[in-house]
Amino acid sequence: MKKTLILELKGNSLDDGPGIRSVVFFKGCPLSCIWCHNPESKKTGVEISFEPNECVGCNTCLGTCTKNALSKENPFFIDRTLCNLCFECVTNCPSNALERVGHEMNVPEIVETVLKDKPFFDTSKGGVTFSGGEPTLDMDFLGKTAKALKENGVHVLIETCGQFNYEKFNELVYPHVDLIYFDIKIMDSSHHKKYCGLPNKTILENFRTLYRRYLDGGTEVLPRTPLIPDITDTKENLLAIVSLYKEEQVKKTQLMAYHPLWRDKNLKLGISLPSTSEGKMGEWMATERTKACEKIFTDAGIALEP
Amino acid sequence: MHSRNHMNIFTHLALRLMAAQFNFRPSLNKHLKSADGWTNFSIGLKTETGTMEQAIVFQNGHARVLKYIPEKADAVMRFINDDILKETVRITPNEMLNLILKNKIILDGNMAYLGAFNFYISLIMGRRYQRMLDKANLLEIKSRKEEYGINDPGFAKELDKRKESRLKADTIDAGVKCLEDPYLSEYSIEAFPRIKMRHEKHFNATPEISSERPVLLTQWYRRHGFEKDSDGNPWTPELRQAYAFKYLMKNKKPVIRKDSIIAGTTCPEEVGVLVYPDTSGTLIWGELGSISKRVLTPCNISKETAGQLHDIFPFWAKRTTRAWISENHGYPFCQKIDERSVASFNFKTVSMSHTVPDLPRFVNDGTLAIIEEVQQQIKALAPEESDKRNTLTSMMLCLEGLNAYAANLAKEAKTLADKETDPQRKEELNRLYQTCSHVPANPARTLDEAVNAAWISWIGLLMENTNVSLSPGRLDQLFQPFFEKEMGSLSTGDEKKQYLEHVIELISCYFLRNAEHHNLVPDVANYLFGGSQSETAITVGGVTPDGKDAVNDMTYIILKVTEMLSLNDPNMNARFKLGVNSDTYLKRLCEVNYVTVATPSMHNDDAVMEAFSQNSDKIEDLRDWASTGCVEITLSGKHMSHTGATSVNMVAGLEMALNNGYHPLMNWHLGPKTGVVANGDFKTFDDFFVAFAAQQKFIIDNTVELNNMAAEAYAYLRPTPLLSTCIKGAVQNATDVTKGGAVYNTSGSFNIGLSDVVDSLMVIKKLVFDEKRITFEALKDAIDSNFENDPSLHAMVHKKVPRFGSGSAEAVDMANKLTGLIHGCYKSTKNFRGGDYTVGFWSVAQHVAYGTLSGALPSGRLAGRPFAPGATPDPSASKNFLDNIRDVAQLNPHHMDNNIAFNVKLVPGPDDSREKIVNTMFSYVKTYFEQGGMQIQFNVIHSDVLKDAMANPENYQNLLVRISGYNAYFVRLNKEMQIELIERAKYGL
Repeated sequence: MKKTLILELKGNSLDDGPGIRSVVFFKGCPLSCIWCHNPESKKTGVEISFEPNECVGCNTCLGTCTKNALSKENPFFIDRTLCNLCFECVTNCPSNALERVGHEMNVPEIVETVLKDKPFFDTSKGGVTFSGGEPTLDMDFLGKTAKALKENGVHVLIETCGQFNYEKFNELVYPHVDLIYFDIKIMDSSHHKKYCGLPNKTILENFRTLYRRYLDGGTEVLPRTPLIPDITDTKENLLAIVSLYKEEQVKKTQLMAYHPLWRDKNLKLGISLPSTSEGKMGEWMATERTKACEKIFTDAGIALEP
Repeated sequence: MHSRNHMNIFTHLALRLMAAQFNFRPSLNKHLKSADGWTNFSIGLKTETGTMEQAIVFQNGHARVLKYIPEKADAVMRFINDDILKETVRITPNEMLNLILKNKIILDGNMAYLGAFNFYISLIMGRRYQRMLDKANLLEIKSRKEEYGINDPGFAKELDKRKESRLKADTIDAGVKCLEDPYLSEYSIEAFPRIKMRHEKHFNATPEISSERPVLLTQWYRRHGFEKDSDGNPWTPELRQAYAFKYLMKNKKPVIRKDSIIAGTTCPEEVGVLVYPDTSGTLIWGELGSISKRVLTPCNISKETAGQLHDIFPFWAKRTTRAWISENHGYPFCQKIDERSVASFNFKTVSMSHTVPDLPRFVNDGTLAIIEEVQQQIKALAPEESDKRNTLTSMMLCLEGLNAYAANLAKEAKTLADKETDPQRKEELNRLYQTCSHVPANPARTLDEAVNAAWISWIGLLMENTNVSLSPGRLDQLFQPFFEKEMGSLSTGDEKKQYLEHVIELISCYFLRNAEHHNLVPDVANYLFGGSQSETAITVGGVTPDGKDAVNDMTYIILKVTEMLSLNDPNMNARFKLGVNSDTYLKRLCEVNYVTVATPSMHNDDAVMEAFSQNSDKIEDLRDWASTGCVEITLSGKHMSHTGATSVNMVAGLEMALNNGYHPLMNWHLGPKTGVVANGDFKTFDDFFVAFAAQQKFIIDNTVELNNMAAEAYAYLRPTPLLSTCIKGAVQNATDVTKGGAVYNTSGSFNIGLSDVVDSLMVIKKLVFDEKRITFEALKDAIDSNFENDPSLHAMVHKKVPRFGSGSAEAVDMANKLTGLIHGCYKSTKNFRGGDYTVGFWSVAQHVAYGTLSGALPSGRLAGRPFAPGATPDPSASKNFLDNIRDVAQLNPHHMDNNIAFNVKLVPGPDDSREKIVNTMFSYVKTYFEQGGMQIQFNVIHSDVLKDAMANPENYQNLLVRISGYNAYFVRLNKEMQIELIERAKYGL
């Protein structure tokens, strides 16, 4: 049976939609936002990570590596140009400081695992959230998983960056989804390309199409914006988003405050921090700054989802 | 053996100096005497290495020193070596306690006399002793401030904010007849100024030791004899107790607190400490001069009270449960194990009254009806049935004593009313006069009478029985008919509102009266059972005996009071019956838990009744169960359940199995020889489990043997005729409940270290036998060195073995195998009253105390660290709380007929709405119950707030936390327990 790469199945999530939810994190994303809060989900292939705080210094791993990819001299410990991802060191690491990032799973495996939490979905009006990475990278797989869950009476939500083929989405995924969290990050397409790797044309088209269908009685869509200092949270960008919402009669949105925790995740994967990660990007977002962003929306009569 | 050294000479000289002081200074010499004459006893001191042996003998007002320990020494202190002996010379009493707990100093014999000896030392040391205590106090405060170094006044405010923006109920339960918003969201404590004032007083007053009860009782016994009456004939114990009780009740000061609409108090002092020298009260002897200065739970003691107690204690020193067992059973082996406090601990030495009496009998029928029934029983006796006649007569005497006290309260109310100038208060006092003239002798007619009757009879029960875990049970069921009737007779909205507010105040008064006496604990108990108070468990909700929804108006009123007062006692417990009780009710329980941080504890009726069905086949009785003490199960009003009889440290059995019956910390080869790891005696995991099972059985058999001896002692020293009048079966059988008179007769055990033992067994099974990744010897070496030389093995046992609470079916099976083993061990025994032992997995605070007394474990837990509390998984089991919930829910209820405690710390997000928090908690609890879980309790608080409270206790006087089945004020806990709570697994909300 066909498998896809899953980063993590996270149970008991309280911040990824209504109620108690299990989140399926897919691995791989068409965008490459420089602030990505889940950098381990960007690449489509498996990776290896090293967490120095977990390492007890037993050196077991050094003896298992046939490629000499491991060295204490290396600030990232693993030389990923040498590593052939055999994961012998991971198997033998007693403290799980070395870990495999990404596991192949098929639809029944995912469904079986998340259904263990079904009793909690039922008492909390929760369900399953597909996130990532980008869950629509493999539409066929996503659609089949969502369908299987719907058949088991589970509420299904997807969190998407919006960069997908609408026809395929409409055919394979849309019928099996109860709620769509749709990211609107940057309105200026050239900025979008600069910070996220691609222009935003497809994203905005998909958003308009899906939102209109929602207003016509289709699946609910909630647009969301991550507040990234000086990138998405500029007055100019937020006002541009507001005018998009006005055009599309959006009444409700969600803003996600920035946090700098992703930086350590990068290091675990052997990715040097981009120069843009310093300054404000190195700090938690101040409450006043978040409040000022919120005000731009509320002043325009657009409600904020907590 | 006789290699005595300079320490021998030093000790000899020190004792000589002490003896000389007492012999020649009249101001000291007078302390060697009580109303019974000279207090004669001897104390031996020695080192285990044989370097020192001395004794001091107090006889007929004279002290002398011996160079050997006489065979009949009353108590002996054994120091494990010279270093420990030297240390004791310069340390505070508090540090000394630590040495005793850690088995560096071993105490044998009668603890009361050791207390007397310590008291004598404190007298000699005088002011120097007080200075040492002050210094210890300052050090303790400093160390708490520095432990985490957190100081953020904003945290305390977050907790206050929880009292605002209260939810409203969305539906009305079938049993709620009068309340429009059952959540009573419009009320806070601000609406009740008198309650608010008393509540503040409660937190600000230092408790005062009350001499009333011990003085009155001892007076009577000195006059009329204990073993024999004044004519020299042996007393019938029940009659003796009844006469003494009647004397106490007649002469007890009738007190009506200035702001109270309930008459009577357990102590005359504003916040009193009850003393029971007739069980374990003499343990405080050594602290009479220091208790006001100790670090934890200090109490004031007047010079007069200290003098009175010092005079009384010699009378009781040989009349305690422990002394009786030692005397009558030749200081048995099982008692010696118990006195080390490492493998087990028996609570019958303190009390036997962990049960739920038939309060409805006192309230609805009245004492005169019970007296009438007793008299009928007496009439029906044959002439030769004198034992039964005595037993029944003693019950009658006790009821008369209770009525005499009520009459005194009535008189007092009248006196006060006549003097009162404020017309409203005058009316209240006149009403109390009417009330106390009517109840508890006659059936209550109004809610005021019902609550007063319940409280006055409770005072009687607490004068007879130690105030530990005696529980009033299902008060919502008891009070609802009165409330409904009175509410029904009112017509206008204003009248109804006024009445409702009166009822909230009445129930608040009832709570505060219960809370205002403290339990006298020796300092050692602060460390063993820290913060635990009377554990007066009130139970609400569930179903009626005929299976209908029992949630009613009074359920919600009691919950409102719980929320407003946030007291640690009464200990609130809520029942929930799936399919019968409403979601609205369960959400309210969660909201109250959120506001108070820690209460109520929630129970699943289905699981509890299924667990207890092995002890009763009567469904009506099972449906009428109520929590007792912490969480335990009692069938209300007909069950002598002594649910907290004995605790067992399951880790001790594991350590003994790893060491062929030897316990390292006790340095004692006490258990059977079941195999040596290093000799390869264990070829399979099952081989090891057999050894482990044999050690558990050995400990349980000993603990049961001791508990049965204690029960025999109790029946002689302290039968309970008043309690017998309100537990069904005792009057009908004309047998005291301490002798098996009740309909149901069980004894409860609680077994500690569940997750630590399961995880350890999993490590042994998986890594040593299944996967063969390590040898048993290597694991054993790592444990013996506290994993210091093998960090990778330490990491491996944590990361490579599925734990209980991680969602592993194998670990759950192991847990059920363990609980099945423990259950089987107990069920193969019987208690003194012919009943079964019940088996629980909760821990009071002993998961911390036993933890400090246990070495490193295969699970990777390091030496001295606390165990996971109750049946709670270890914090490292899973990051996903749902895994914890699922695994605990799969514990087999048939092995847990004395309930469990599943402790969870939840941390609400800073921006989470109250609805979201309450709804998420609701979902956790409801799903846990649907999956079969038995009990759950939350602390809803962030660790940083606890850290701030540790450093700045003055801002958190009433911060409630749940330990394992009971509540305590965080700032009154010992430091180790505070750290355990801070580090307990936490899950975001």
